Amino acid sequence: MSAPIATRPQFAGQRIKRLEDPRFLTGHGQYVADIQLSGTVHVAFVRSNYAHAHIKGINAEEARKDPRCFAVLTGAELAQAKVFLPGAQNAPLPALAIDEVCYVGQPICAVVATDRYAAEDLAETIEVNYDPLPAVVDTLAATQPNAPKANLAFPTPGNVFFHMEHATDGIDDLFADPQVVVVRQTFRTQRQTGMPMETRGIVASWEPGTASLTVYAATQMPHGLRDTLAAALHLSQSKVRVISPDVGGGFGMKAPVYPEDVVVSFLAQQLGRPVKWISDRREGILADTHARDGLHIAEAAFSKDGLFLGLRDHMISPAGAYPLGLSGAVAETVLATLVLPGPYKVQQYAWQIDGVLTNTTPTGTYRGVWGPAATWVQEGMIERAARQLGIDRVEIRLKNMVRKEEFPYHSVAGVVYDPGSYQESLQLAMEKIGYAGFEEERRQAAAQGRTLGLGIACFIEPTAMGVMGDEPLTVPNDVASIRIEPSGQVIAQVGISSHGQGHETTVAQLIADQLGVDVQNVTVLHGDTAAVPYGGGTGGSRSITIGGGAAILAAQELRQKVLQIAGHLLEAAPEDLEIADSTIQVKGVPGRTVTLAQVAQTAYMLPQKLPQGVEPGLEATKRYTPPPITFSNGCHAAVVEIDRATGAVKVLRYVVVEDCGKMVNPMIVEGQITGGVAQGVGSAFLEQLVYDENGQLMTTTWMDYLMPESTDAPKVDFGHIETPSQNPGGMKGMGESSLIASPTALVSAVEDALGVWVGALPLTPQRVLALAEGRQEDAGA
Amino acid sequence: MKPATFSYAAPRTVEEAIELLEAYGDDAKVLAGGQSLVPLLNMRLAQPKVLVDINAVEGFDEIVEEEGFVYVPMRVRHVQGERSPLLREKLPVVSEAVHQIGHPQIRNRGTMCGSVAHADPASELPAVLMALDGRIVVKSGDGEEQITPEDFFLTYLTTSLQPGQLVTALRFPLLPPNSSAAFVEFAQRPGDFALCGVAAYLHLDEGGTIAEARLALMGVGGTPFCAEQAEAVLQGERPSAALFAEAAETVSQEVDPDSDIHASAEYRRHLAKVLIPQALEMAAARLGEER
Amino acid sequence: MVIPVETATITVTVDGRPYTATVEARKTLADFLREECGLTGTHLGCEHGVCGACTVLLNDSAVRSCLTFAIQADGQEVMTVEGLAAPDGTLHPIQQAFWENHALQCAFCTSGFLMTTYAFLKENPNPSEEEIRETLTGNICRCTGYQNIVAAVADAAARLRGEKHTQPVGGV
Repeated sequence: MSAPIATRPQFAGQRIKRLEDPRFLTGHGQYVADIQLSGTVHVAFVRSNYAHAHIKGINAEEARKDPRCFAVLTGAELAQAKVFLPGAQNAPLPALAIDEVCYVGQPICAVVATDRYAAEDLAETIEVNYDPLPAVVDTLAATQPNAPKANLAFPTPGNVFFHMEHATDGIDDLFADPQVVVVRQTFRTQRQTGMPMETRGIVASWEPGTASLTVYAATQMPHGLRDTLAAALHLSQSKVRVISPDVGGGFGMKAPVYPEDVVVSFLAQQLGRPVKWISDRREGILADTHARDGLHIAEAAFSKDGLFLGLRDHMISPAGAYPLGLSGAVAETVLATLVLPGPYKVQQYAWQIDGVLTNTTPTGTYRGVWGPAATWVQEGMIERAARQLGIDRVEIRLKNMVRKEEFPYHSVAGVVYDPGSYQESLQLAMEKIGYAGFEEERRQAAAQGRTLGLGIACFIEPTAMGVMGDEPLTVPNDVASIRIEPSGQVIAQVGISSHGQGHETTVAQLIADQLGVDVQNVTVLHGDTAAVPYGGGTGGSRSITIGGGAAILAAQELRQKVLQIAGHLLEAAPEDLEIADSTIQVKGVPGRTVTLAQVAQTAYMLPQKLPQGVEPGLEATKRYTPPPITFSNGCHAAVVEIDRATGAVKVLRYVVVEDCGKMVNPMIVEGQITGGVAQGVGSAFLEQLVYDENGQLMTTTWMDYLMPESTDAPKVDFGHIETPSQNPGGMKGMGESSLIASPTALVSAVEDALGVWVGALPLTPQRVLALAEGRQEDAGA
Repeated sequence: MKPATFSYAAPRTVEEAIELLEAYGDDAKVLAGGQSLVPLLNMRLAQPKVLVDINAVEGFDEIVEEEGFVYVPMRVRHVQGERSPLLREKLPVVSEAVHQIGHPQIRNRGTMCGSVAHADPASELPAVLMALDGRIVVKSGDGEEQITPEDFFLTYLTTSLQPGQLVTALRFPLLPPNSSAAFVEFAQRPGDFALCGVAAYLHLDEGGTIAEARLALMGVGGTPFCAEQAEAVLQGERPSAALFAEAAETVSQEVDPDSDIHASAEYRRHLAKVLIPQALEMAAARLGEER
Repeated sequence: MVIPVETATITVTVDGRPYTATVEARKTLADFLREECGLTGTHLGCEHGVCGACTVLLNDSAVRSCLTFAIQADGQEVMTVEGLAAPDGTLHPIQQAFWENHALQCAFCTSGFLMTTYAFLKENPNPSEEEIRETLTGNICRCTGYQNIVAAVADAAARLRGEKHTQPVGGV
């Protein structure tokens, strides 16, 4: 050990290329569809063609007789086995429809065959005899007293299955005050879905010897799936193992447990052999949770000099035919109530929520969940006030924002904003987008017949949820279990579960810094309930803050033990030691070193050389529980050009200023942002799930559901501000902010270009043209 | 999303292909590039009993010029049409239109004849064929016919092709002197089926007035739409912005598009009005360049 | 007359190695690669020709393997993502550029982008950003927003032109 020891590398904060990438680049990722177990049989589902109907009978005779058929399973058989999917509002869902179907695409029966081609052949032969029932598709129509009931089996009298409201004292007086200026708008988001490139899928395998179930599934939350499957199939949690292999994106859609998960697992148990179902895209669009599709009837009160005094919002949101898991109708609204005031110091606040059943696909979470609509409402109100009061758009925001010295700030919504950079983010974004010179730019463009607009969206992103209530609904903490092997290699098992976020790299960066090893010597294992401690998986922008926080704590504990043992071996005090390059050295004494491998070997194999009272082994498990919410913040700004002849919108410039606390890997942070901005282009301009009046989904292919392509996504210019959080490492979550802010920034730019207000999305060329021509009624606004 | 069972044959000659098509009649489908057919097969929206794959037929894979016509035989893929020096020089409008079909991988595999035979009303080549007064060359046991687009395209995804008939080529006349053509379309994303598209052809006499004009639209009905009234407006007049606007106005009265989830009838009508002057002006500008 | 068949024994050369199997005529090339050849790097994202995740090279031309039947590839050459890296595991410059530019997140679409890029840069070794973006419209990515993919393609082009040296594999 003659080489000088380098100063301790700081991996956190560096643009380190991802450790997981080589397997993906060479085609060796292992997604659930790639899992090939010997003897596997394949499932196809027969799904409802009707939005609402009684099932009078199912004839599967032909399928059952086919030599390629292994099983046909119906809802009646599942009910007989008492297998249900635990649902929200204490209403268990049939995993396969029993007497009633309530949306097009609802699974009715499962057919198992030698391969997927054969399973689809057999599914085609199964005849379902329907007796159509009246269907209700439109959310508002479903709230009417005489509306048909969307789900006859659901235990509420009407379609409004969920209602909550709240108001601060004095809000009615405020809105009645003739001195205040009130602005109003109804904001309508369109129905979308997360649409990861990989569809859902599951391979379930029953091991008769141990009476246990192993499930490979494309899920964001392996432990959540494990718990639900165990409950649904009446198995002990110790007899169900869920492995989430490489997962090709989720965006919230892969968080819930679905009927198909229960059915495939049950079939594996019944057949005693591996059963596989990989959703195809069309059934995915029909049966993956949908999202958004909400209505916000909002009004805001401002003082004449532009103070944001009060906000009211009536939210009406569809659950689809069943509240599945964390229903979108509840998640998008209840959570929105926490953040609707945004970065502004609103004083009076009232909200109402109506969650509604309709004969549509169940809604769930899609990236941003509570944020995109809340941001649109809050920014929409402030924009309208600015224009009406003749105050500069940036001025009015700065005037109302929580200032640096006011943190921690207790918002009117009852949450605490930890320190951020609300004003600073806006100012930096305006500098980068060229706000000061924009009127001149607009004028020059107008002289050439071009129409430009500048959009602004300031946001707060609630991340990394900790303890929020007394119900055991989520895991408000997460865990890391780290060991140093005798070779000095580090293995970390974490409860978060990557599906594209790069945790194998970022968590390794955090651990490597604490243990003084190269990042490549840290292997991060995740997504296997038999291998990692109980965790909450990945969603809600929780992973780096909570899971990374746990990793830092566990690594710190391990570091102390390493130094204690090394100190004993080197006959030095632990506080006089430093670790770098997997070597522990007495500070300032280059010759006095011991390697991490030597320490580890001592810890495991030579307990007699350990200091008094130190347990053998080098492993540590820590769980980290963060504050209830850690807020990221920032600002998006966009300049768009509108073709007044066609209504087409082109994004010319796009700026994101993001403050997510300490960045572990800025390259990954920026990648999350560019991805979310592109999805925001989809939300603002392209994507929409469309039902006809009978409840048939009209957009079941990617020729009809338009996602952004490479020519649609803008090039993003970044600004970073780092206001550290109180979490270990100073991190805040940031996975969703880019989709929370981008639709609003783009909408705002169109409004600015045309001098109009937008109340409905997406802004298709047709809708933009209607707005440009002053035909508000054709713009759905 | 896996296709239903079918039988497959890959004939080596056109005669063999026609023999198969005659033998299996309505049960048979021609498989060329497959870029429109195979999605329908995968979704089981089409379930032919027999696929006659013409990819192994010898020949029919080069664009040729013969006696005043350019022939695009049935195995020519879009990418060839896009890059063909012959088309780019003599009929650039065809290359430009083909470039707007689908995406690179689609154009690498899909064939120009296949696109025409599929007869999607929002596809490019039917309109271009119509504006250029092209023909669809169809072979059967009874011999060869050259069918006009007006006779060939019947309605959505439906042509006059009878069992046993095979599209073997598209035939485009070379442009006479003092004539030119242009194609423009509007789609939400590149490669999407266009919400509306216009192919325009202009032929001027020596005095500079329009001797013949042809306008064909796509995306405004079940077949490519020949805007005859607008053509009459243009005929005998000198090209000008005002004239083109008048023609556009006429077309927007003339067409009767359907509404669907992608665009309303009203918006498609509006697009027709916007795109027609663009196509005519592009064609007129090309005439200017030639002079 | 040629007799139509429901199954056939075919031989397809994939990444330089012949694979022989008896398949149904309806089996797509994508399923053949994944199930018969065990090459699961080719992914199925939509199975109707929009997303490009299943892009492979058929006789050097980038095509969607979900829209081609395996039987049509009998006697022909296919190249998949598994054939990109050198036999010793050295990444292809396109793979290296994707890695260094963080052009992949969930990576489900990545194989398709790599194969599209491989074919594209052979034909156009010095593309503009506009040309890159236009070519990539045939591949959908839901994670990255394309910015880093576009950068990676430009970077790969520079590497392939010899204007940029590829760093050894394994560095961070």
